[in-house]
Amino acid sequence: MEERSNRNSREAIFESIRGALAASKVLDAKESELHHAAEAAAYLQPGIKHDVASLVELFKENLEAVDGHCIIVETRSDVVQALYEIINKLQGTYLKAKRIAVSDSSEIERLVNLVDVDVDTFAVAPTASEVFNFDVGITYAQAGIAETGTLVLDSSRERNRLVSLVPPVHIAILNASSIVQTLGEALATLRQAEEVSPIITLVTGPSRTADIELTLAIGVHGPQELYVIVNKNLEE
Amino acid sequence: MNHVTSETFDENAKAALADSQLRGALRNATSLFGKRRLAAAQGLTNWEDLRTQARAIKDDVLLHLDQYLENFVSQAEARGAKFHWARDGAEANAIICRLAAERNARSIVKSKSMTTEETHLNVALEAAGIQVIETDLGEYIIQLAEETPSHIIVPAIHKTKRQIAELFTQELGIPPTDDVAKLTSTARATLRDRFAAADIGISGVNFGVAETGTIVILENEGNIRLTTSLPRFHIAVMGIEKVVPRFADLDIFLKLLPRSGTGQRLTTYQSFITGTKQNAFDDGPEELHVVMLDNGRSRMLAHPVTRQSLACIRCGACLNACPVYQQIGGHAYGSVYPGPIGAVITPQLMGLEKTQQLPYASSLCGACREVCPVKIDIPRLLLHLRGEITEKSSPEVQQAKGRTMERFAFKMWRLMMLRPWAYNLSARVGRLFQGLVVKDGKIGRVKSFVGPLAAWTSGRDLRPLDQKSFRDKWASDQGKS
Ligand code: SF4
Repeated sequence: MEERSNRNSREAIFESIRGALAASKVLDAKESELHHAAEAAAYLQPGIKHDVASLVELFKENLEAVDGHCIIVETRSDVVQALYEIINKLQGTYLKAKRIAVSDSSEIERLVNLVDVDVDTFAVAPTASEVFNFDVGITYAQAGIAETGTLVLDSSRERNRLVSLVPPVHIAILNASSIVQTLGEALATLRQAEEVSPIITLVTGPSRTADIELTLAIGVHGPQELYVIVNKNLEE
Repeated sequence: MNHVTSETFDENAKAALADSQLRGALRNATSLFGKRRLAAAQGLTNWEDLRTQARAIKDDVLLHLDQYLENFVSQAEARGAKFHWARDGAEANAIICRLAAERNARSIVKSKSMTTEETHLNVALEAAGIQVIETDLGEYIIQLAEETPSHIIVPAIHKTKRQIAELFTQELGIPPTDDVAKLTSTARATLRDRFAAADIGISGVNFGVAETGTIVILENEGNIRLTTSLPRFHIAVMGIEKVVPRFADLDIFLKLLPRSGTGQRLTTYQSFITGTKQNAFDDGPEELHVVMLDNGRSRMLAHPVTRQSLACIRCGACLNACPVYQQIGGHAYGSVYPGPIGAVITPQLMGLEKTQQLPYASSLCGACREVCPVKIDIPRLLLHLRGEITEKSSPEVQQAKGRTMERFAFKMWRLMMLRPWAYNLSARVGRLFQGLVVKDGKIGRVKSFVGPLAAWTSGRDLRPLDQKSFRDKWASDQGKS
C-alpha cells in the first residue's frame, strides 16, 4: 500500500514537471535571455602547469593558509621521524595523543609500529562505537590538490572514513606524486574509476566554524589539528 | 517559538529596525561576507565565465528535469540508494517518520538542511515522539533557544556570544563564559554523545550528479560527515531541482558556491556519497534513503521567469548584498528563506495569499543580481510576482490594502503619460497644492488623511515639484535665443 502510494507521488511529480515544461514552451521561445548548455562541460584546466616540486610547495602554502600543518619529507624513514615528532609534541599537550587509531592500510600500521613513542591504546580501523576513544587518527590521503591545499580521501582504497574524522587529531600521509594542481584534475581522476567510489571526502584544513559572532573557532566537530606529511620518496 | 509570519512583514521589519543590537550584528556579517566574496571572485580570472556556464548548466537541467531526475535516480538506485517521493512537506515528513518508526529509531542527529526547515520536519518528528538534535553549531544554538535561523549560512547571526553563553549556562549547566572557543568546545562535547547514540542521521543535499547518482554535501564543521557516517541509517532530503548532469560540472559549482557564500576557495569538507557501502564491514550507514521533495517546485518550471528561482544554489550572497536584508535581517521575512531569494521563493512555495508583502520588500537596486553566482534576475522575478499580485491573483489578494490603489495609480499614470495635456494639468495642480505638505524644502511624513501620500512618506521623504517645470523652462529658454 505504502509502496503504491509512493509510486503515485513519483508519477504525480513527473507529470507536474512535464506539464509545466510543456506549458512554458511558448514563453521560452520568446525568452531571449535563456541560456543553453551547448556541450558537456570540460574539467577546467590549469592556466600554468607546475612541476612536482612546485606543486608540493603550493600545496603546503595553501594548507597552511587554512591552519593545517604540512611537513615535507624525502624518505620513508623521514615519515617515521615526522610521525614521532608530531606525536611526541602532542603528548605534552592536553590532546595527550596516547590512544592511536590507524586506517586498515598495512603500510600505515608498519610505519606507526616503527615510531618510538609510548601509547596506551592502538587500533586498526575501530568501529563507530569504538572510534570515540582515540586521540589521534592516522591515514593515507589518496591525492592532494595543490591550489587549495586539499586532501582527497577515497574510502574504497582504505578504511579511513571514521579514523580521519572522529579523533581530535588527524595525521595524513600523502605521496608527492599524487598531488595534482587543480580541483578539476582531482575530479577527473575520481570519475575515471570504473565505478565512482561510494564515499569520497575532500578535506581542506581542520574543522572550523564562525557561527558565534563570526569569531573563527577551530575544531568544532571534526579534527581540530590536521597534519599532512608529504613524502617525496627520493630514495626510490 | 516566535510567531513571526510573512503576512506581517511590514510590522516585522519595523520591529527589526528598532533593534540596534541586531542591526549591528547584521552590519558586521553582511559587510564581512560581502568583502570576502568579492576578494574570492577576483581571485579567479574567469569568474564571469563560470557564472555564465553555471547558469547554462542549470537552465539545461531545468528544461529537461524529468530526464535528469530519471538518470540520477536510476544510477543511485543501482548503487543501493532507496528513493521516496514527496509532493509536499507533509508527505516528506510522513515518509521520514515512517522510516524512523520502522527502524525503531529513538534518536536522530541532523545536519543543516534548508529543505527540512522548509517542511518543518523537526516538529513532525517530535510529535511522533522521536528526539531530533541539530548538530550544526548555529542550528544547535537556535534549537536550544527555540528560535528560527536568520541567515542561510550563519543561522544564529542575530545572537551575541553573551546571549549564547547565558543559554548554555541555563541549558547545559556550564559556568558563565564569554570565550567563543569554550562555547564551541562545550557544544562539541555535548553533541559527541548525541552522535554516538543516534540511530539515524538526516542531511540535506547540495548537488545530485545525474551521470553517477552521487550526492554532494558541503560544510565546514564536520557535523555533516559525522551525521552521514556514524548512524546506521542515513536519510538525505533533496529538492528535485538539485540535479547537475555530469561529475565534471561539480568543478564549476564547487568553485562558485563556497566563494559566493563565505569567500572560501573550498569549504573544509565536501562529501561525495554514491549509494551505500560495498562491504558490510566498511565504515558508514547500512541504508541510504533519499527523499525527493517537490513542494511547489515543479510549478515554477511553467514560466521562464519563475523557473530561474530553481537555479539557486543557496549560497546566501544575495542576502549579504541586499540593502533591505542588511537592515532587517532574516526573521522579518517570516519564512525559512530570507533576503532577496526568500522574497521570490517563499511566495511561490507558499502562495501569494499569505506572502504578498514579500515581493515589495526590495528597492529593486539589483545588487542581488550582480552577486548571484548563477545569474538569477531577482529584480525581474520580483516585478513578475508584483504583477501577479495586482493582476492575476485571487480577489482577496487583489483587494488587500494598497493593491487597489496601486492598480488605480498606475492606470492614471499611464493615462497621463499618453496625454501631454493631462500630464501638464496634474503637475500644475500638484504645484498649487503641495505647499500644504512641503516643510524645510521636502515632503516629510504627512498625516494619514492624505491617503497614498501618507503611506509613501511614512518611510521616506519626497522631493517637492520645482516651481517651474522643465517644459516651461525649455519654452522660455527657446524664446530667449
Ligand atoms: S539567488 Fe543566487 S545569490 Fe541568492 S542564494 Fe541563490 S544562488 Fe545565492
